[in-house]
Amino acid sequence: MGLTRRDFLKRTAAAAAASYIGLRLPFDAPEEAMAADVDSWHIGSCRLCGVGCRVRLGVKDGRAVAIKGVPEARTSMGYLCMKGMLFYKLMGHPERLTTPLYRESKKDEFREISWEEALDIAADRFAKAVKEHGNDSVAYYGSGQALTEETYLFQKVMRAGLQTNNVEGNPRLCMASAVGGYLTSFGADEPIGSYADIEKATCFFIIGSNMAEAHPVIFRRVMRRKLDNRNSVTVINADPRISPTSRIADIHLMFEPGTDLAMLNAMAYVILDEGLADEKFIENYATFRIGKDKKEVTFEDYKEFLADYTPEKAAQICKGNITPEKIRKVARLFARSSATMSMWTMGINQRKRGVWANNMIHNLHILTGQLCKPGADSFSLTGQPNACGGVREGGGLCHILPGHRLVKKEKLRNQVEEAWGVPLGRIPPKPGYHTMAMFSAINQGKIKAIWINCTSPAQSLPNCDLYRKGMAREDCFMVVTDIFPTKTTELANLILPTAFHFEKTGVYGCTERRSQITRKAVDAPGKAMPEVWIVREWALKLAQKLQDPVIEKSVEPFKGLEPDYALPKAIWDEYTQKLTKGRDNDLRGATYEVLEKMADGVQWPAPTEEFALKGGTYKKFVRGIDPLADVHAKDDKPLQFYGPAHPDKKLWVWLRPHKGPEEMPDVQYPFYLSTGRIVDHWHTMSMTGRITELLRANPYAYVEINPSDAKALGIKPGDMVLVESRRGRNILPAKVYEGPVKGMVFVYWHDMDEDRMINRVTKDAYDPGSKEPEFKICACRIEKVSGPKPLKPYIVRM
Amino acid sequence: MPIGGFVVTVDPDKVDRVKEMLLAISGAELHGQDEKGNLVLVLDAETSEEMELMTKEIRELPDVLALGLVYFHAEDEVERIEKGEYRPSRSFGRKPV
Repeated sequence: MGLTRRDFLKRTAAAAAASYIGLRLPFDAPEEAMAADVDSWHIGSCRLCGVGCRVRLGVKDGRAVAIKGVPEARTSMGYLCMKGMLFYKLMGHPERLTTPLYRESKKDEFREISWEEALDIAADRFAKAVKEHGNDSVAYYGSGQALTEETYLFQKVMRAGLQTNNVEGNPRLCMASAVGGYLTSFGADEPIGSYADIEKATCFFIIGSNMAEAHPVIFRRVMRRKLDNRNSVTVINADPRISPTSRIADIHLMFEPGTDLAMLNAMAYVILDEGLADEKFIENYATFRIGKDKKEVTFEDYKEFLADYTPEKAAQICKGNITPEKIRKVARLFARSSATMSMWTMGINQRKRGVWANNMIHNLHILTGQLCKPGADSFSLTGQPNACGGVREGGGLCHILPGHRLVKKEKLRNQVEEAWGVPLGRIPPKPGYHTMAMFSAINQGKIKAIWINCTSPAQSLPNCDLYRKGMAREDCFMVVTDIFPTKTTELANLILPTAFHFEKTGVYGCTERRSQITRKAVDAPGKAMPEVWIVREWALKLAQKLQDPVIEKSVEPFKGLEPDYALPKAIWDEYTQKLTKGRDNDLRGATYEVLEKMADGVQWPAPTEEFALKGGTYKKFVRGIDPLADVHAKDDKPLQFYGPAHPDKKLWVWLRPHKGPEEMPDVQYPFYLSTGRIVDHWHTMSMTGRITELLRANPYAYVEINPSDAKALGIKPGDMVLVESRRGRNILPAKVYEGPVKGMVFVYWHDMDEDRMINRVTKDAYDPGSKEPEFKICACRIEKVSGPKPLKPYIVRM
Repeated sequence: MPIGGFVVTVDPDKVDRVKEMLLAISGAELHGQDEKGNLVLVLDAETSEEMELMTKEIRELPDVLALGLVYFHAEDEVERIEKGEYRPSRSFGRKPV
């Protein structure tokens, strides 16, 4: 035929795309071509957001050379985004950390050392801190990108071994308020429904989420649903900023930052005032609650409470384009649609009253019965690939143990101690420091040794200059495990190189309660090792240095196992079989064997392998769908809200007042500052910034300014603009754009350059319930400092 | 020299206009379409940097609602990275605003 290799590849690419839309091309789709072009394809998850897209990584001669979607995956249906397309390039990147690096003083240069020496130093410094300053002078700060096996083992060694609950992770910064919302409203963490509801929903209420950029593959599903049903599906987008997500919206609600709580209460007002509530659903399944002591009140009390939130009053608070009629219209659409699905992320969670904002969205679903039926759900989207699976479920926060257990409950601590075979009372009863408290404790000299895994708090904490001072202290020994140098490795004493995704084996649990395995496909570069091996070896040395056999006991079942598969498998087995049994996230059926058979993993609860092999639970609490709803049934109603946090097994409608942000604009700082993401980048850019294509698309952060504000201040596109708050300042180029509402500016938070690192400006106020910081709103002033200037992108290098 | 297979989703009423614009891009080939506004697109680029710029351009075309990647091959580039001939870095200046 004389087909060149290039033509062959193009046909392969075309055939792959055509198969997605059921199109036959004039040439045969060469399955064998796909096979012929790589040595092997390895199925796994993309690791660059919380959607859980499944990919096949093509490996040739031991290295990753191609990537394709997995059409049979119920998350992504075969699609990927640009971030997903290029992540293979990180694997062979010349800047990967490949050997342990150490310096005694943070002022010294790093020197290369062996693993033996590195683990000895790490154990020595943690042991010394414990002996001299007590168990709570050490801490672990992890990540929603770590595998479940990694988070689980770290927290086990910290709690059972070193007897401290100072176990935290960066999900505190992004989804703690969603956890708080689910627990207080539904009695159980994590969404009731699934992505599968998208194809059945007739009304989408997207609030505080730019999903077109942050979750592009899920956005594609919403867009498809809208396009295929233009007249019968409504998309409502509520956001102070017009974003690419607004492109498919029928209605865009644009309000001043932080006023949405009033709007949500006003929607509830309309629902009750106009008789749109599902009275039977409320009678069967809901109670009403108020205050810190969760006092039960009546439906009448709730109605009385809402009297203060007429649409007229709320519109005055919200400003922007909000009118009383708009609030009424949206409330009617929400209530009357055959199935309403709400979706949100950081715009709701990263708030001083993030839990309340979550509660108020849940309130609307409870009042209208828009729950537990196909297409209806109150669905929080997750930012990181394993914030749900590893950190929320695996015990990665200071107040929770594996299997959604609270540290403060003795019975639950004892269950964990028994499962681990350590003495009862070994796990301390007091929760550890939450994230902001942990880094404050470092500032105060209370933490003498901290292990930071797979995250960069030096850049990602709000008001980060304050906390960088603490991390730079010589009396706080810092171990950092990562694949690249970051702003945080710059402050470390010991840097340990780790294996990347597809260079090790483990499980990620995505937004929709779905656990998916990724097996090792290629070797890690240099001396980089999987974290599970690092923790096990470190724990064995700690046991010697502290002469404490219980520390050794915490890794006893894992001794001697090879680290690429047998070790993570043994850890997963222990976690799922011993610690999820009898819990709402029952994962006993999701064994490695089952996960390896499934294209797209398993949704918990999945108590048996037989059930897991069918995919698990698509919707919680529905009898006939969720096996635990039958197990825990207390009556013959079709829905059973068995969540562990609500003794009455009901949904709780909360009476929550409107409360604005901690810091409001004033004469000195007259603008709202909000921050967010851009499609090409992921978090602190230590990974995506190294992928030239992504960096090139958006090489540095800029400040988005509404045209009318720009005009008033004489700012033109490209001008250099000072963005200053009470905490810090940035100087960034201006993008004058009909995006943010008047009076608000918006900055992407990925840039590492000191002039453009926006977390030097953001505020570290946090939600008193969830302890999640209010990244989304603070007050700032802006001022033109010069015309356009050439800028250079900046990435931390060794 | 990377090759990518994409599904471009377009407002179904505007397909013809978008097709014209896509075909004007050098290295872009259209292999088919359905009635729902989905187009089968193959991009063939000299470098993945070039491909990224092409996808950015396409995403920003009026009436393009989404660009979904399904297949991507870049063996040549991986070889170049390994041989040290190509170092992913940011040796460029200011982005045009």
